[in-house]
Order: sequence, then C-alpha cells, then structure tokens
Amino acid sequence: MAEAVSEGAEITVEKDRSGSGPGGLPLRGLFRTHVWPHRASLAAGAVFLALTNWLTVSIPGEIGRSVDALQRGLPVGGHALAIALMGAAIIVIRALSRILIFNPVRDMEYRFRQDFFAHLLRLPMAFWVTHRRGDIVSRAANDIGWVRVMVGYGGLQALNVSLALGLTGWKMVALSPRLTLLSVAPIAVGMAVVQWGIRRFIALFRRNQEQLGEISDHVLGSLQGMATIQGFAAEDAFTDRFRARNLDWLRTGMRMALVRSLAMPVLALSGGLAVGVLVAVGGAMVHAGTLSVGELTAFVALLMVLLPPLRSLGWLVSVAQRGRAALERLLEILQAPVPEESGATAAAATPGSGPGIMVKGLEFTYPGGAAPALEISGAVIPAGSMVGIFGRTGAGKSTLLRLLARLEEPPPGCLFVDGQDLVEIPLEAWRRRVVLVPQRPFLFSETVTFNVALTEEPDMERVRWAVGAAVLEDDLRALPEGLDTLVGERGVMLSGGQRQRVALARGLYRGGDLLLLDDVLSAVDHATETRLVETLEGLSGGPGHPTVVIASHRLSVLQRTGHVLVLDRGLLVDSGPFAEVVARPGPLRDVWLARRAGMADGGPVTGEAAS
Amino acid sequence: MRDLKLLGRLLPFLRKDAWAFAVALVLTPTAAGLSLLQPWLVKRAIDGHIVTGSMEGMGRLMVLYLGAVVGAWIVEAGYGLTLAWGGQRGIVRLRQALYEHLLRLPQSVLDRQPAGRLLTRITSDVDALGEAFSSGVVMILLDLLMIAGTVVAMALLDWRLTLFLLLLAPPFLAVLELLRRRLRTVFMAVRSALSAINSFLAERVDGVEVVQLYAHEEVAQRQFARLGRRFRDAATRSNVHDALTYALVDGASAMAVAAMVWFGSGGPGGLLGPLFHGSVSAGLLVAFIGYLDRLFRPLRELSGKVAVIQRGMASLAKVFELLDEPVPDPERGAPVEEVRGHLVLRDVRFAYPEGTDVIRGVDLEVRPGELVALVGATGSGKTTLTRLLDTSYGGYRGSILLDGRELASLAPRQVRRKVAGVRQDIQLFSDTLRFNVDLGNPAITLERCEAAARAVHADLVVERLGWEGVLRERGAGLSVGEGQLVTFARAMAHDPRVLILDEATASVDPVTERLIQEALGRLFEGRTVIVVAHRLSTVRNADRIVVMEAGRIVEQGTHHELMEAGGRYAALVRAGEAFLAA
Repeated sequence: MAEAVSEGAEITVEKDRSGSGPGGLPLRGLFRTHVWPHRASLAAGAVFLALTNWLTVSIPGEIGRSVDALQRGLPVGGHALAIALMGAAIIVIRALSRILIFNPVRDMEYRFRQDFFAHLLRLPMAFWVTHRRGDIVSRAANDIGWVRVMVGYGGLQALNVSLALGLTGWKMVALSPRLTLLSVAPIAVGMAVVQWGIRRFIALFRRNQEQLGEISDHVLGSLQGMATIQGFAAEDAFTDRFRARNLDWLRTGMRMALVRSLAMPVLALSGGLAVGVLVAVGGAMVHAGTLSVGELTAFVALLMVLLPPLRSLGWLVSVAQRGRAALERLLEILQAPVPEESGATAAAATPGSGPGIMVKGLEFTYPGGAAPALEISGAVIPAGSMVGIFGRTGAGKSTLLRLLARLEEPPPGCLFVDGQDLVEIPLEAWRRRVVLVPQRPFLFSETVTFNVALTEEPDMERVRWAVGAAVLEDDLRALPEGLDTLVGERGVMLSGGQRQRVALARGLYRGGDLLLLDDVLSAVDHATETRLVETLEGLSGGPGHPTVVIASHRLSVLQRTGHVLVLDRGLLVDSGPFAEVVARPGPLRDVWLARRAGMADGGPVTGEAAS
Repeated sequence: MRDLKLLGRLLPFLRKDAWAFAVALVLTPTAAGLSLLQPWLVKRAIDGHIVTGSMEGMGRLMVLYLGAVVGAWIVEAGYGLTLAWGGQRGIVRLRQALYEHLLRLPQSVLDRQPAGRLLTRITSDVDALGEAFSSGVVMILLDLLMIAGTVVAMALLDWRLTLFLLLLAPPFLAVLELLRRRLRTVFMAVRSALSAINSFLAERVDGVEVVQLYAHEEVAQRQFARLGRRFRDAATRSNVHDALTYALVDGASAMAVAAMVWFGSGGPGGLLGPLFHGSVSAGLLVAFIGYLDRLFRPLRELSGKVAVIQRGMASLAKVFELLDEPVPDPERGAPVEEVRGHLVLRDVRFAYPEGTDVIRGVDLEVRPGELVALVGATGSGKTTLTRLLDTSYGGYRGSILLDGRELASLAPRQVRRKVAGVRQDIQLFSDTLRFNVDLGNPAITLERCEAAARAVHADLVVERLGWEGVLRERGAGLSVGEGQLVTFARAMAHDPRVLILDEATASVDPVTERLIQEALGRLFEGRTVIVVAHRLSTVRNADRIVVMEAGRIVEQGTHHELMEAGGRYAALVRAGEAFLAA
C-alpha cells in the first residue's frame, strides 16, 4: 500500500520539517491507530491499482499489433481476445482497487471523527470561551471530509497518476522518443494553463463562497429582524441591499464560468493538437519506413490513455493543499489540552450527603479577562442548607456556581468541600455529586424524556417524578405527545419557562449532593415559582440532605432560603440570614426598598419581605 | 413528469435571457460537429495518405484538423459561457424573488419556522440549483448531443461495425442504469446520514456545558458512533457502486475495441468474414478509438452529473414550496393618510392556528396621545395583543378600530408607516449605524437621525462609531443598553403616531437605566403608546395601567388607583413580579 498512504505519511514528514505546527508526533500516532490496521486492504488495493494501470497501457500496444496484423492480412482473433480479456480484467481489478482503498478510508474517517468528537466533549470551558463554536463545528463538518479526500482520493490518484504517467511515458518512449517529445510538448503547455486555471478557479470559488456567506448572513439578519423590517415598512431598502450582494455573487460566478469554459478545456485542446502533431510527423515517419502504422495507432491510443490522469493531476495538487490545511486546523483542536485527573488520591468527601462548602481567599479571573470576575475573602455554605445568592447581572453569581461545579477551574486552596480542597477531588467523582442547572437552559432536539434523563434507557418512574417536581405536568398535558414530544432545535417547541423547568427536571432526575440553580426561576410565573421553591425546600433540610444553592434576583425566592450571599461587581458584600441582610444597607436592601416604594403609596405594606 | 412541471416553473426566471439560451442551442451542434470531425480527419490522413504513402493533400487535411480542434475549443467555450450567463442570472433572479417573498411572509408563519430552514432555502438550495444548472444541465445537453453525434458519425464511417457495437450496448447500458439507480438511493442515504452527523455534533458543541455537567459524554459518544457508522456504511456502499460504475465504463471501452478488431477480422470463426473482411482499416480503427473516447467520457461522467441534477431538483421542489406559501399583499387594503392615534378594541379574540384562544374578548379604548401600560403574568396575552395592534398578526375576531376604521381593512404597510411596533429583543442589522436608524427610508434625513439620536441619548453611540460606522454581527459590539438606545433612535426617527412597545427585560447598569428611562419619556411624548411594561418607572408614568390575565383585561386604572383597589395588580406588585428586578 506504500504509496497510497505515503501521501498521508509524506505530510507527516513535511510537517516535521516545517516545525511551525504541532509537530509530527500526533500524525504518527494517527497513522498508527487509524491507517496501520487497514494495511492489508490498502496494500492489496495498491497492487490492484498498479495492475490496472499496467493493463491500461498494455491495451494500445495490443491494438497496434492487431492493426499491423490486419494490414498484413494475418488473423487478429488472438489480439482481440487479449484486448477483451484485459478489458474484463480492468473492470474487476479497477473496481477492487477503488473499493479496497476507499472503504478503509471511510472507516478511518469514522474513527477519526469519533475521536475528534470525544475530544471536543472533554475540552474545558477555558477552550470554549476562546473559540467560536460555529467555527469548531464547521471544522468538524468540513475539514474531516477534506482530510478524507486527501488521504483517499488524493492517495489513490497520486499512485494512479504516477503509475499511469510513468508507464505510458515508458511505452511511448519505447515506441518513439522523437514522437514522445513532440506530442508531449503541447500537452505540457496545456497542463501549465490548466494548472493556472485550477488555481484561479479555486480562488474565485473561495470568494464565491464568501459572498454566499454574506448573502446568508444578510438573510439571517433579515429573518431575525423581520419584525422591524415589516414593522417600519423598510422592505425596499433591504431588498436593494440584498440585490447588491446577489449581483456581487453573480460577477464572481461569471468569472468562474470564464475560467471554467476557456482555461479548463485547454488540456483537451492540447491533446487534440498533439494528435495532429502525431499524425503529421508520425505519418512522415511511416512514409520513411521508421514506424509502422500499427505503432502510430498505438501511439494515438496511448495519448488517449495519458489525458485523464493528467486531468486529475491538476486537482490532486489542490486536494493535497486543502487537505493539509484542514488537517492542521483539526490538529490545532486535537492538541488543545483536556484536563486530566489531578492524580489526587483523596477520596471524594463522602458522597450521599450534602457537603458543606467553605470559600477562602478566592480570586478568579476568566482566561483573557482583564479584572477578576470574582473575589471572595471568606464565606460558608453549611451542609444540607438552602442558600441564596443575590446580585445584579454581572455580579458574579454564575461565576461562583460555575466554579463550584468546576466548569471553570478554581485556583487551589480557595474552595473547600467538607474541609477538602475542591481541586483535589477527582473531577469525575465531583461531577457525579454536583448538579448545576444553568441560567440558559440548553435542550437537545430530542424528546422531553431524553432531555430529562439524558440517556436512552431512562427510568420512567423517576422521569415522571422529576417532571412533577419541576411543575411541568400541566404543560406536558398540553403538548401533543407529552413526554415523547420532540422539543425541536434548542427546544423551540417549548416556551422559555417550560425550557427552564425541563432543565430543572433534568437536574432533579440526575440528583446529587450539591444542587446549584443559576437563576432558573426567572421565566416562570409566581404561582409556579412558589411550588418550585417548595419542592426545593423539601429536598434540602439539614445534615444528610443535599445542599442547595440558588442564584436569583427575585426577592420572593431569596426570602425562603435560610441564608443569603450578596454579590456586587464580583465582590461578596454581605451574607447572613435574609432578614438580617435586608436590614443592612446594600444592594439587597436597595432593591427591597425600591419594591417597597413601588408599593408604598398603594396602601398597607405588610413588610412581608422582611418577615 | 413532476420534474418537468417543476422545471417549467423555472422558465419565468430564465426568459429574460432567452437569447443566451438560443445562442447556446445553436452552438451545441456546432461544437459537437467540430469535435466529431476530428477522428474522421485523422482516419482520412491515415487511410488516404499515410498507409497509401501519397502525402499530397495531407497538409490541407492537417490545417482542417487544427481548425477543427481550435474551433471546437472556442465554440464549446462560447456555449459554456452563454449558458452560464443565462443560468446564473436566472439563479440570481430566483434568489431575489425568494428573498422578497420572505420579506412578505406574515409574522405568524415566520414565528413557526426555524430561521435555519428558511435560510437554507435561499442559500444552500438555490446554490444546489445553480450547481445543478452549471455542472449538470449545461454539460449534459452537450454530452447527450455528443453521444448521439458520435453514434451517427461512426455509422457514417462504417454502419455495419457501428451496428454490431450498438448491439453490444444495451446490456452494458442496462447494467450502468441499474448501478446509477442504486447509486441514487445510496447517495441519498449518504447525504442524510452526513447531515444527521453534522447537526448532532453542532448541537452537542452548543450544549457542551450540559454534556460535561451531566457526565453525558459517553451517551453522546454512543449516539454519535451510531450516526457515524450509519454514514460510514452508506458511504461504503456508495463507494462500491461508484467503483463498479467507474471500472465498468473503463473496461467496456477496451472490450468495445476488442469487438471491433474481432468483427473486423471476420468475427467468430470467420463467419462474418464476407460481411467485414478487409473493411476495418487502420484509419478506421484509430477513428473509432477516438469516437469511443468521445462516447465513453460523457457516459462515465453522466452518473455524477445526474446526481447533481437530482440534488438540484430536490432543492427546486423545496424552493417552490416556499414560494408557494401564500403571502398577503401588504399594500392591499384601504389607504391610510393621517393617523390621530385613536384605538378602540371591541371583544377582540385571537387564536394561533390549531390552538385555543389566547386573547379572549378584550375591550379597550386608547385616546390619541394616551400612554397605556400592559401588565400581567407570563402567558397572559399582553405580547400577543401588541402583535395584533402593530399588524404583525392578522386574523383577529371582533373589532380593532384605528381612528374609527377597521384595522384589518387597511393596507398593512401603510398602517405600519404610522403605527410602529418595537419588539422586546433588540433587532439590529450588520450595516451602518445610519442604516440601523433610518432603515434606508429616503424621507429620513441625516438631521432627523441626529435629532432622534440626541433625543434618546443614542448620540454617545454615534460619537463612538460615526454614522457610517458598521455594526458587526448584528450589533454584537454594542452593549445591551446601547442597542436599546439605537432602536429607540430608530423609532424616534420614523416618528410614528402610535407606538407599540414591548419593553426589553434585560437588566442594565443604573447609569444606562436612567438614560433609558429618560429616552423612553421623550419617545412617548406626543404619541399614542401601548407598552408592555417591565419597568416600575414606565408603569408609574402611564396614564392608565391595564392588567391582563388569561387573555382578558381584569383591571385598569392608574398605579395609585389599582394599589388602592388591592386587586390583581396590587398582588402582582407585592409579589414583586409585575416587573423584573430593578
């Protein structure tokens, strides 16, 4: 198989030498894990490919001999049979060569994509905040395909073209060096033009795609802002702008057509010219007796064999370039470090009961952030308690919860769980104990049940309990298929409040010792909220029960938590029982007073907020 | 049949460039003829001159040959270019028509469709159509003619040999057709598997936090592996078909040559000898090899082109499905000149398609210049009511009178020039700041934009970006507060008589909050305003507060009156949930 895959291996070497990229090591690893297991199939495919090429160039010689035999009135049946057999053999062998080479490459693609996906799922949040997700998705969608084309099609064609060119050239030179030189000359010029054409075409194609991207961006913008466009009767202006982009696309498209129609067929043109040269010069040679008619015929036939591989040569170069660039982009992601178990041997502080949490001298800055997002000198969340976190947008509520769930990696020596440093607890063990329901509920386009259980073999009884606890039962009844309803992309079939409660049900289904709820009640109405808080109260309740932390800016929610932490611009400014904190000056009291003022001229204020 | 009907619907988009297609049609036989002339000239040269040894007239023949080669190149280029011209301009027209259609789709339709799907229609589907046209239809026409011409040319040279070769063709073509059909189904499986993979991956990347938090990696990987295997297996099957097709064409051309040699020599046991003997000359063989190449090359690429065309046809169907979605003519209805801004709602009811009523009998009168705040819990129908008033949704029952005329009878676009709806989500466009304010309305001068920006405190944004500054990614560079101020400037510059506003709920810092409150005050001045209120300040400034519950109005009055009444409103305020946190 050497050559078919050497295409891939070659790149390894090049990368090693360039030294700019991530080095050759991962490639060598990839080669070993993905390519090597298929060596038998690939090798057989390469042998068949060589055979096919040998047969293909042998046929013209046989044709030449049969022409000479015809000329002399000799029987040609043997020649005809030979040609027919070679043709039949080509059908089998060429098909086999393509199957034996392309099919393993499909398997490699599958395994590589699988590895890539597994890696993506484990990349830390620090990676995701510095990379655009759309970009990562497009790399996975397009680049893996390009690498496959490079290895499969590229490898096969590289071998095919070099064999075809080598063998054809050899046969041609053997027939007549002079004719070879004369007929190859116009073809070489043609090749150069086509090569230029392909490069130009690819550049134009890329531009064309960009313009298509602009068109699609414009459409997306229009769709999202449709209420404004229609509401302000601005359709005409948007139509004009769309037309301008559309016409830009047309201009590039026409230039592509120009290259495609004029430059690309130059190879066929030069092939035609070469035949002309052959007939003129070769004819004179036959006349002079230095070449037989059969040999001239064979030469023409060889030229016909030569043209198709030349045609693919032009594309081969661009396939290799694109594939290499794609592979580099993929390696960049594959080499982004995945957090490893810190090797801590410390057993996770006893699972099964809500942990007590202590924060000490915590200072956390997001990667690439200028200032710390959170600074807490000291705070305590008692085991089994229900604690509220209050703060405006950007106060650091989410950051604190993300640190507790270790979505962000906290600095060591700052967060303690039952006395043990959080970063020393193995990540997986900790994740199994923690449930974070994020502020922005994320639903997969699957059924409600799958979204709650996140497994294909759900415990239906538990699903029903979780859904009930999250006050979703009435909503489900209104859905066409209840729990089996497909929620659509990002849960579009559900309202914002329903999405939040499905996410909450997911958290409840999973269960855990530490329940972190990030503003999950913001889109539900008051009555629902009351029931939800009651559920949560039922869950926590002293030692042995889960610890519940709720971030919210709703006073009605915070009031019911035993203990409140108040954050303001990343700082912990107050903490204590709600009634005490609200009595002290600070952000919580400000909001409470604003509420009170809102109600003040409305008559009796019961002061329930402070009760 | 269905395909033909669909193609027929493309005609209106192509008609304007009929000349280009006419030219291409004339060039097609010319190109084919010039190409087919070449092997014939080569045969003449070999049989008439090289074999016989008389070189006289050989020069003229070679000049003719060169002329045919170069001529074929030029004519084929002309053919490709005229077709590309007509085709691409047709595609551009179709895309434009689709976009304009999209802009007229009622909000109720848009709200039900994921944006991604509509986007695909205008981009990928139209693109696939263009590809089908330029790589498929354009070339396939010439190919088919070339195949037919080749057969004719061969027959002219030696009809008996051609006939025998053609007798061999049907089984070959049958196998090819069989493979092509199977390839088509397999290919569709490949495509659907690939798109399943890609959307699955995109979704898991989007929700990677959830995946990690819930230790969902393994389940996701298992699901992904299943999709991956489906793709791999489909692709493998398509490989096998593809390889067979490719190899079959490759080997068949060699077998055709063998048959030619064999028949030429007298066929099986020399039985056909009397028919053929001596008729297959060296020149004829060379010519036939040339013709066979012209026959097999298009045959080999035919299946690929057919696949591209099939993809195009699928897209075409989807494109016309969207174009067939009925759109109301926004200019149809009674004209609207001046509007005072007097609204009367009588027993207004509204239901979404296949749903129960969400507005269940609303009666309300809003006098010109009045500021009415709508308040109520999530799902009480406030937002739906505003959509009816700003004509986003049609199809209400009961009656909505604007200055005494039924809203449904008025031309929506003319109403919208006087009644502006501003949505809760901040809608900005990736265009200049100026365009984001005037929305390309030529009646809005720069002075008017500036005055509007000053009035609503958006001048800070103007100072920073400049009027010609471009907002990237739909205003991603602006803060939430800045974005709101720009949309206020837009509303101010358009100067509607009636403003229907759904206040944004996103919290902003106290300084911006004060700016927004002042801006709203100026924006409300002198207009009839109906606002879904999330701000205490807005509610307190309202002339009247309307409390909604379950699609009905349950209370109205000033803040003071309602608090005193101690009803639903007071309860909402007390619960702190009439509005979001300060």
